[in-house]
Amino acid sequence: MEVDGEQILQRKHSHYHNLDEVFMVRNEVYKGQQYSQIYFARLHMLRTLLYSLVPHWKPHIPGVVVAFLGKESGAGSFLVHDILEAGLPPQIEKPLKLGDDKYVVFVSGLSVGNSTSNPLQFQLLVDHITGHLGDENEQRTAAEIVHVVIAGNSVEFARGLFNGQNLGSKDQAKLSEPFRELDILLTQIAAGVPLDIMPGPNDPANFYLPQQPLNRCLFPGSSAYNTFRSCTNPHSFELDNIRFLGTSGQNIDDLDKYSEAKDKLDFLERTLRWRHLAPSAPNTLGCYPFTDRDPFVIESCPRVYFVGNQDMFGSRLVKGPEGQLTQLITIPKFCETGVAVVLNLRNLECHALSFGTQFSF
Amino acid sequence: MNGGNSRKRKAPPQQPSPEPPKHLATTEEDDFDEDFYLQDDLMDEDSQILRDIDERSAKLARLSKWARPELSQSYKSQSQSIVFQQLEIDYVIGECHKEFLSNRSGSAAIIRIFGVTREGHSVCCNVHGFEPYFYISCPSGMGPDDISHFHQILEARMREANRNTKVPQFVRRIQLVQKRSIMYYQQQSSHPFLKIVVALPSMVATCRGILDRGIQIDGLGTKSFMTYESNVLFALRFMIDCNIVGGNWIEVPVGKYRATGKNLSSCQLEFDCLYSDLISHDPEGEFSKMAPFRILSFDIECAGRKGLFPEPTHDPVIQVANLVTVQGEDKPLVQNVMTLKSCAPIVGVDVMSFDSEKEVLLAWRDLIREVDPDIIIGYNICNFDLPYLIQRATALGIAEFPILGRIRSSRVRVKDTTFSSRQYGIRESKEVAIEGRLQFDLLQAMQRDYKLSSYSLNSVSAHFLGEQKEDVHHSIISDLQNGNAETRRRLAVYCLKDAYLPQRLMDKLMFIYNYVEMARVTGVPISFLLSRGQSIKVLSQLLRKSKQKNLVIPNAKHAGSEQGTYEGATVLEARAGFYEKPIATLDFASLYPSIMMAYNLCYCTLVTPEDIRKLNIPPECVNKTPSGETFVKPELQKGILPEILEELITARKRAKADLKEAKDPLVKAVLDGRQLALKISANSVYGFTGASVGQLPCLEISSSVTSYGRQMIEHTKKLVEDKFTVVGGYEHNAEIIYGDTDSVMVQFGASTVEKAMKLGREAADFISGTFTKPIKLEFEKVYFPYLLISKKRYAGLYWTNPDKYDKMDTKGIETVRRDNCLLVKNLVNECLHKILIDRDVPGAVQFVKNTISDLLMNRLDLSLLVITKGLTKTGENYEVKAAHVELAERMRKRDAATAPNVGDRVPYVIVKAAKGAKAYEKSEDPIYVLENNIPIDPQYYLENQITKPILRIFEPILKNASRELLHGSHTRSISISTPSNSGIMKFAKKQLTCIGCKAVISGSNKTLCSHCKGREAELYCKTVANVSDFETLFGKLWTQCQECQGSLHQDVLCTSRDCPIFYRRKKAQKDMGEAKLQLDRWSF
Repeated sequence: MEVDGEQILQRKHSHYHNLDEVFMVRNEVYKGQQYSQIYFARLHMLRTLLYSLVPHWKPHIPGVVVAFLGKESGAGSFLVHDILEAGLPPQIEKPLKLGDDKYVVFVSGLSVGNSTSNPLQFQLLVDHITGHLGDENEQRTAAEIVHVVIAGNSVEFARGLFNGQNLGSKDQAKLSEPFRELDILLTQIAAGVPLDIMPGPNDPANFYLPQQPLNRCLFPGSSAYNTFRSCTNPHSFELDNIRFLGTSGQNIDDLDKYSEAKDKLDFLERTLRWRHLAPSAPNTLGCYPFTDRDPFVIESCPRVYFVGNQDMFGSRLVKGPEGQLTQLITIPKFCETGVAVVLNLRNLECHALSFGTQFSF
Repeated sequence: MNGGNSRKRKAPPQQPSPEPPKHLATTEEDDFDEDFYLQDDLMDEDSQILRDIDERSAKLARLSKWARPELSQSYKSQSQSIVFQQLEIDYVIGECHKEFLSNRSGSAAIIRIFGVTREGHSVCCNVHGFEPYFYISCPSGMGPDDISHFHQILEARMREANRNTKVPQFVRRIQLVQKRSIMYYQQQSSHPFLKIVVALPSMVATCRGILDRGIQIDGLGTKSFMTYESNVLFALRFMIDCNIVGGNWIEVPVGKYRATGKNLSSCQLEFDCLYSDLISHDPEGEFSKMAPFRILSFDIECAGRKGLFPEPTHDPVIQVANLVTVQGEDKPLVQNVMTLKSCAPIVGVDVMSFDSEKEVLLAWRDLIREVDPDIIIGYNICNFDLPYLIQRATALGIAEFPILGRIRSSRVRVKDTTFSSRQYGIRESKEVAIEGRLQFDLLQAMQRDYKLSSYSLNSVSAHFLGEQKEDVHHSIISDLQNGNAETRRRLAVYCLKDAYLPQRLMDKLMFIYNYVEMARVTGVPISFLLSRGQSIKVLSQLLRKSKQKNLVIPNAKHAGSEQGTYEGATVLEARAGFYEKPIATLDFASLYPSIMMAYNLCYCTLVTPEDIRKLNIPPECVNKTPSGETFVKPELQKGILPEILEELITARKRAKADLKEAKDPLVKAVLDGRQLALKISANSVYGFTGASVGQLPCLEISSSVTSYGRQMIEHTKKLVEDKFTVVGGYEHNAEIIYGDTDSVMVQFGASTVEKAMKLGREAADFISGTFTKPIKLEFEKVYFPYLLISKKRYAGLYWTNPDKYDKMDTKGIETVRRDNCLLVKNLVNECLHKILIDRDVPGAVQFVKNTISDLLMNRLDLSLLVITKGLTKTGENYEVKAAHVELAERMRKRDAATAPNVGDRVPYVIVKAAKGAKAYEKSEDPIYVLENNIPIDPQYYLENQITKPILRIFEPILKNASRELLHGSHTRSISISTPSNSGIMKFAKKQLTCIGCKAVISGSNKTLCSHCKGREAELYCKTVANVSDFETLFGKLWTQCQECQGSLHQDVLCTSRDCPIFYRRKKAQKDMGEAKLQLDRWSF
């Protein structure tokens, strides 16, 4: 809530429902399980699904479950005639509340502590979100921001400092400085807007997908607010009944190793059609050796599917044969581009929000 | 597959009498022919079985795909000459051929030649009329009457010795021939010899025995005779007399052969002919090529019982994988797997599943019969797979199974043999004779031709193909078999890989070409190359040459005078040190063969001192060797050995020249195999004369050769040190720093490689000029820098052109010894790399120190510390207690199912034990160590593993190597993990400690003590970074193994102890669990 002069702008709210449970690793411990189980679970889940699709018959990455139509030709050879992939998952129809504009801000790759990150840029973003920037018009828009999602790589810390020895006080300071800086800025956001923070490949979190929430002890200030939520990566939630699903980018970056497709949005669409978030896990993408399930299977189609830490902003609306509609978004690295992404919940349109600190007259 | 029509048959009929004479050993010194009789009477009883087979194959449509190409009309009408490449030659005893040999009757040896025509038809050629014979020297004054009398006496004695054999005449005839013994120089060109022709090949040995022991002759009294060429195997005798060499092409002209009336073999072309009508083609031009042989590579899996090695009397054969290729074609002809019980499909493989074991075995037998492979290969098939299949079939009572050979009526038998050779040691093995098919066991070939640290198929493939395979522990095989179709598919994939790898190895190492060429060069059958030692090859060449020269070879245990051992090659004292100036190496090119040629050393040029006097040979016509023997010069008598060597060397030169011009890769392969075979053959001639248990040892020759060798090395040393001096106008005084058998290392003092090469060439030319031709000193390479440790141990960078070094060359340094742990190997390699290539001695020292520190601080990966030893016999049979044997016993007590069995390799690490514990008590299973946190014993590794090799390398370089490297600050900090299940720990109470400072914490704090609260962020990052590192490692290692096993949906089962990933992934799994627990403490 911001107070500006006599006029009081009331920040809008929306209903939030966290769906991260599926990505939590809780009671699972390493008792000698291997990766075969997750492969098996994936095959099992997607096979049942494909069987149901075979009556409606209609490029490849290891780990993607597809059905092959063909015939056995002689000694053990199998001649492939056609390939069936799963297609878009069904979408749970929840009508958009065509009310007023409500905005969600996505940002990724803040990289606080990196030499290229510009603190002023980040501060401008924070000020914009909290409504401390611009005229009344802009403040009005800012008041319509109902949610902020930080999709990974928020800090950069010197991993090289860990060499099995205890750190000297100088190094300790060097290490904790970025965290403190980030915490201060996040506190400012969390004070006004609900905030979801996801871990990314460079964050102090585990390496495997699903990455578990960043520990609250890293954010002593902001974690005091109940608007601050440390989430998993991948992250799934609902805002006003609109389903969101997103990752910090590892799954898409890893697919890049297998394909020459240029547009990252293609990868997003593919993973959605394969109904699997991370087909290359566990082969080249680290993943927890689940024993009974494969959490990366997309069971229902999200309305918004976002991926952080990409080179540039992009969005595309995908339509499925059964009327599924999904907005795909690639979120660029903020520290390199100064671009955040804004999504309007009313019509799922999105645009880039660019911050520059180069003053030119 | 129809299993219902195979009724129970009575046991196979007994071997027809007479039983062939039993001889146990086929060692090098004794070669015997063992007669096998044609089993005509078997035919009728077996016809039922054969009809069965026909029915069965009719039902299997796929068998038709396996068959050989149809015969053309001209073959069928016998209007075409038959030209084929022979692979196997053996003989059987049968009736004389009435048509070809009208004047003879009774049993006779029939030579069978098996081979393949250019079109891919299989051939069985029965050769008649060739008779076994040998020579004895004719006592002086024996006339034609005496000979016939002698014949009668001998015949009577023979009849006595072979009461059971029904042969009308044992000694067919005795002829007087003019020959000369190969031994000693003789002035007369010939002496009378008696050629004794006997009825059957096995009688040669009997007859020899009689003559050796002595025979009573009227007028002469009891007299024993020296026999000549009586130890030549019949098949080899035939090959020599018909000028046939192993693996060459034979032509039987049209009209000279008759198709056999009743086909005894399953070959497409079976015919009889006379031995004199065979045309043997030299392997030149068109005839140097290879026929399209069919090669079958196979592997079986058996379901053993827990803790026991599979035994054919109990454990079923559950899978057989086959890969059939045609020589010269890329694509396999057949790739299939026969499984017991259902099996899920495998891409590119014909999966054949059966309900009973009997059907599996019979399906395999059908495959053999239909595909009709010429060569059967595999890994350890001779000692395991083949005997197992046959013994299993016997245990199951499947009488029709072991008809695997090309002779329809004969069953394959298993017999035990011992093979002993000076070079390869004594090996016990099983022999499964499959008539007409060549067996080639890759394991035997590997053991013969390569020195490796481990001969498991896995490590051999990793070494040559860079390809690992999943290693399923045999205790798991039964579980997989008892699972479902998917688990059996898993097993099938594994089994197929085992069938596929031998073929890959064979192609990669060009075994077919190299062995066929070796057979062609030395003239022995291909099967001899694997089953016999070196000397038969030289003997074959010697016999061939002697035949041309009208010489005969005595059958003597010792030719020449008997003497014990002789002095070997010389080794000049090594001046150990690290040489930072280029060291030129002067090599004698094939020294021993050239010495033999240069000084005309041979059996037939050797003269005893009395003979010199007696024959009055002028001294200028003889060479006195440094060892005191005398040999005549070539003007008087050209030696046979020098002549053989000359031919080998000229042939090699020609092969090499042809190789350069050859375009066709197949022709190239043949030529390359040939030049290699020629080189090996030339070098083995010397060994033949020196083998004291060999066929014709003559220590006069071998000791003369080595004495000349020694003299030449000394001579070279003297010449180099005299000529290349400052006084002689050179920049530096040359120094010989080391010399071995056929090379000397010279430090010319020049500072650049280029200068050293120039001086090296000059020295080589100069010194060569002082030697008798064809002895030649060659300059080949420069070592720079050069680390000389002691004799036969050195390392250096190898240069053949002055711009860039070729490689790092090491000799006698612990990089491949198998009872060292990987740590030593890595350490030595890295140090040598740093010293020689990077020229960074301080860096190498630092590296050693770091490694020692890591070892003491317990920071090393366990897989680096694993030592492996083969368990060759059970605990009680070892005289001295050995670490790996004790461990195997202890593991058996823990869990008999997974404990290593005899024949397995036992991996172990040395752990800390109570003070005064013996070394063998300190061994422990690496997995057990990982699971229970047992501390390793760094001191053992430091003292018993690292110290010696490291000091060896550094002593020439550093002054106080031991003090510098093994003592000092880096050895003072030690960390030892606490075992989690030792006695004292059971009484200990566990308490949480602060992650930051290890202070004991209690109460509500679960993670940090109050002092460390402020460092939360730092400490958390540290924990999480740790987890993240382990996760990366875990993911990489486990997915790697998951990919390697070729199936994503099944657990990794591989327990390959040779694979470095194995221990690392086990360790990663455990570390991961621990790191995760630490991380979980932060969840508050």
